[in-house]
Order: sequence, then structure tokens, then C-alpha cells
Amino acid sequence: MTTAVADADILAEPSRPLPRRWLSRRLEPYVFVSPLIVLIGIFVLAPGVLTVALMFFNVDILAGTWKFTGLRNIQQAIGRGEIANSIVVTIEYALLTVPPSMVLGLLVALGINGLRAGGSFWRAAYFLPVAATLVAMSIVWRWMFLARRGLVDQTVGKWMGLTDWLNSSDLSLPAVALVGNWQQIGFVAIVYLAGLAGVPKHLLEAARIDGASAWHRFWHVTWPALGPATVFAAVISSIQALRIFDTIATMTKGGPAASSETLTYLLWKRGIYYFDIGGGAVVTVVLLAFALLATWIQKRASRRLERAGSR
Amino acid sequence: MDPEARLAAPRKGGQPVTKRSTSPFAPGQIAVHVALAAGAIFMLLPFWLMIRAALTPEAEIFSGNMLTLGTVTLDNFRRVFAEVPILRYYFNGIFVVVAIFIGQVIVCVPAAYALARLHFSGRELSLWIVLGALMIPYQVTAIPVYVILAQFGLIDTRSALILPFVANAFGVFLLRQFFLAIPGSVFEAARLDGAGAFHTLFSVVLPMARPALVTFGIFSFVSHWNDYFWPSFVLRSDAAATVPFGIVRFLDAELGSDYGPQMAAATLSVLPLLVGFLLAQRQFINGIAMSAGQVE
Repeated sequence: MTTAVADADILAEPSRPLPRRWLSRRLEPYVFVSPLIVLIGIFVLAPGVLTVALMFFNVDILAGTWKFTGLRNIQQAIGRGEIANSIVVTIEYALLTVPPSMVLGLLVALGINGLRAGGSFWRAAYFLPVAATLVAMSIVWRWMFLARRGLVDQTVGKWMGLTDWLNSSDLSLPAVALVGNWQQIGFVAIVYLAGLAGVPKHLLEAARIDGASAWHRFWHVTWPALGPATVFAAVISSIQALRIFDTIATMTKGGPAASSETLTYLLWKRGIYYFDIGGGAVVTVVLLAFALLATWIQKRASRRLERAGSR
Repeated sequence: MDPEARLAAPRKGGQPVTKRSTSPFAPGQIAVHVALAAGAIFMLLPFWLMIRAALTPEAEIFSGNMLTLGTVTLDNFRRVFAEVPILRYYFNGIFVVVAIFIGQVIVCVPAAYALARLHFSGRELSLWIVLGALMIPYQVTAIPVYVILAQFGLIDTRSALILPFVANAFGVFLLRQFFLAIPGSVFEAARLDGAGAFHTLFSVVLPMARPALVTFGIFSFVSHWNDYFWPSFVLRSDAAATVPFGIVRFLDAELGSDYGPQMAAATLSVLPLLVGFLLAQRQFINGIAMSAGQVE
């Protein structure tokens, strides 16, 4: 590639030895790249530095004043216990959504993949929740979870005695997680369907001829080939758990008693609802740590897969 | 010949190791359809209940069989149009997603092209900046970006919904991969012809990027049309409200326990994307599945 461009420059220059042209060729890449870099600087890099600064200040947006407060924001955030609570709630939410949606998404993908007809119909049906506006569907779910009269209390509530989910500190997070699964399954299924397309068919057929049972074929051929799809789906759904906001804001508002207050919801509540910018900055740093942790785990897992593949 | 077809084809001369029915009506196939249908009820039930309640008179919403339609009325929709400025939300939503996408094309296509195909000092650094930005979910920049926008007096404006998303590291990354897959000679031919930088960009690079832009465009449209998180940071009133923000605000304020109009409003919010999805399923699935690539 390098040579092609270099050759082109050599070929192009002698015929038109205009210095202006030469200059514009040299400047061209910078004209193309600088808007992007400037905007990333303003909206990603500068905010990173700003967050660290904001942790140590008491900022009044309306008055435009910054007051240095040292470690007080951090001490308060720890003292109130809300950060610790939100970390626990976020991890609980991840445990309630990541494993179930991955297992169910894989089952859906295996089902659809094995079909001779009608696969694209089911794919569309399961993907519909992914495409729908989550906030609007949360309004529907909120109504389905309505105390006494809602569908959930009329059915599950009557059969199992689990009623008024959204106002129960034990059931509000599971209710939100149920919607999370509802939305996530189709997404995981699509990831696995892409993975299944890459499973070597001749190996499956060879195993079949050798008399391997369906379970053995899955466990020894299909599942290992799905490694990258699994890592991918796991990381995406974990990051989704870190980002979850819409369902919580519409269905529970983090309650009751902060029992469904995830980190992203706390971020909004601190920074916007309480107008406590410094406190919001502290939550941001925790959120960033989790996001980087997720990326790091993904990098490690895919590197291990690569090594396993090259053996 | 595609391997599936080869396997399905009857073997000549080979020993019949397994008998494998190829009929779509084989018992195993039917069982899979039944299982998928059972799961699909869970996936589609909320949509059905929403539409049913939206079409049912307020008094009958909780009565009767939830699985059938009773009296059909459009009153709930009439109330939404009368009381909720939903057309303004639609307008704001369309304005915002279109502006974001145009901005993304203007900023990201040239940058991705330069990062893929032009040589200049600082290229490595620029690439690292893009990859770094890619790892940071935008929730993490929400508070500081909010502070920056507030400094410029942009709170509660459509600009606040647009500006932070114009430089999309993921879009650059994706387009760059796309340009890298196109032979460099294609671009070089245009340059040798003496075409200027911008001419090359508009007549060669942009048309070539179209397939990638369609996928990225759907991703961008869907994620910003649906977004509720960022509007709830920078919006305070109805003026610049997009559909998700406007609807929730209005429901909580005006339609507290009027479930019929609530469901009608929800239907109206979901409708544009559902129609789009049903019309262009494949592109939609690709576009949304791409959001996954954001952490890659």
C-alpha cells in the first residue's frame, strides 16, 4: 500500500510541478482528519480530564461558580453508601440478565438455525423487541406490572403470590431485569446465528456419520466453534447492563428504597436530579472503571481464544 | 455448491449411515416451530397488549379477554393528538437524527478515508485517539459534556442533542475497515487523473462508501431516535423534546392513570421504527447488530 501511494506521488508530481498542488496534497489529510480529532477532543478527551477535575469541586452550573472542596465529594459519595449500593445492584442486574439472555438467545439461534423453512420469520419475531423504542415499551411493561389489575398480578401474581413487583424492594429489580432479557434475547440470538453460520459443516456431518449424538455434536463441534460469538455476546450484554437506564427511569425510578438504582441511573440522579455535578463525577469514575474492566476482560478472552485456535 | 445442499442431497453408492428427513414438516422440525412459537408469545405479547389497549375504550381496558379485541375505538389516539404535542416530538426526533447523520457523514467519511488510504505524520496518533474514544461508553462522558454544553448555553436545545454525536469513533472505525478492503488502486486512479482532494472525496470515496453508510445510518438513526438517556440530561422542556423524552414527560404529567391514551402514545412512538424494521429487515438487523461492534 505504501508503495502504491508513493509511486502515485512520484508519477503525479513531474507532470504538474505546481507548488500549490504539492502543498494541497500535503495538507489534504489534515483537512480530512482534523474536524474529527477536534470534536473527539471536545466531547471525549476533554470530558475525561474534566471529570477528574469535577470530582474535587462544588460546581454551580447556574451561577457558573466552581468551589474547590478537596475530597469532600468522594467522602460524601462513600458516606451515603449509594455508590456501594449501586455497584451491588448493577452486578445483580448483570447476573439476572447476562446468563439467562445468553442461554435463551443461544437456544433460539440453535432452533432457527436448524429450521428448513420459516427461519427468517422467527428471526424477525425475536428481533422485534431490539428494534422497538425501549422507553415506549417500558411504559407498556409498567402497565403490565401494575398492582392488582395488571397482567402480571392477574396471572403470575395469582398463581405464585408474587404481586406488585414494581413496588417491592425484592421484585423491582427482577421486574426490570425481565424486560432486559426480553429485549436482549433477540440480540444474542442474532450474534449466535452469525456464529452458527461459521460452524464447519463437514465436521458436523463427520460426527453424525461416526454416530455421535446430537448433544455430543453440539458439545464437541458447535460449541467450541461458537467461542468468539459467546465472548462477544457476553461482553455486549454486560456493557448493556452497565448502561441500562430507560427501563429503570420509566418503571421504578431506582426504587423502592434504591433497590433498583443501577450506576447509570445513579449518575443521572446525582448529576441532574440533585444537580450535584461533583457527586455525578464520582459516579462517572466508577462507571468508567467498570467499562474499562469489561473491555479488558474481552481483550483477554479473545486473545485466549486466538491462542486456543492456533494450537 | 453450497455445503448444506450437498449434504442434503441423497448419497449415491455411499452406505446409508443415517436416514435424515429433509421435509420441512418432519416431526423434529414441527417441534422446533412449536418451541419457537411459545417463546415468541413472550416476545410479542407486550406489542399485542399495547395495540389492544390503545384501540380499546378506557372503561373496557381491564375487563374481558386480553387476547381478543372487543370494542374498537380510535378515541385514545384522538386524545393523544389533542393533548400531547406528538407532532412536535416527531419533528424534533427527525430533525435530530437527520442532523446527526449528516454531520457524521461530513466528519467521519473524510477522516476514515484519510486514516485508511492517505499517508501523513500524525496518522498513528489519530488512529489511537479514535480507538481510545471507541472504548468509552457515552454514559461516561455525560456529566462533563453536560457541563461543557451548559457553559455555552446549549441546555434544552436541539444542538445539545446533536453536537456530541457528530464525531462517531465507531463510524470512523467501521468506514476505515471498509475503505481498507477496497483496493488502493481505485483511489489512486482518481488522484492520477488529477482530481482534487474534494473531488476525489465526493465522486469516488463517498459513492463507494454507500453500503457501509446504509448500515451505519440505520444504526445511527435507530440509536438516536430511541435514545432517552441523553435527552434526560440536557433537556428541560418540551421545546426540543424528541419522542422518548416527550412521551415520558407528558405521560407522567398528564396521563397518570389513563392507560388507553398511554398505550396509544407508546404505539405512536414505536410505530416508525417497527414499520422501518418490517420494510428493511436485513439492513435493520445488520445496523443494530453493529451497535455490538462498538466495543470491538
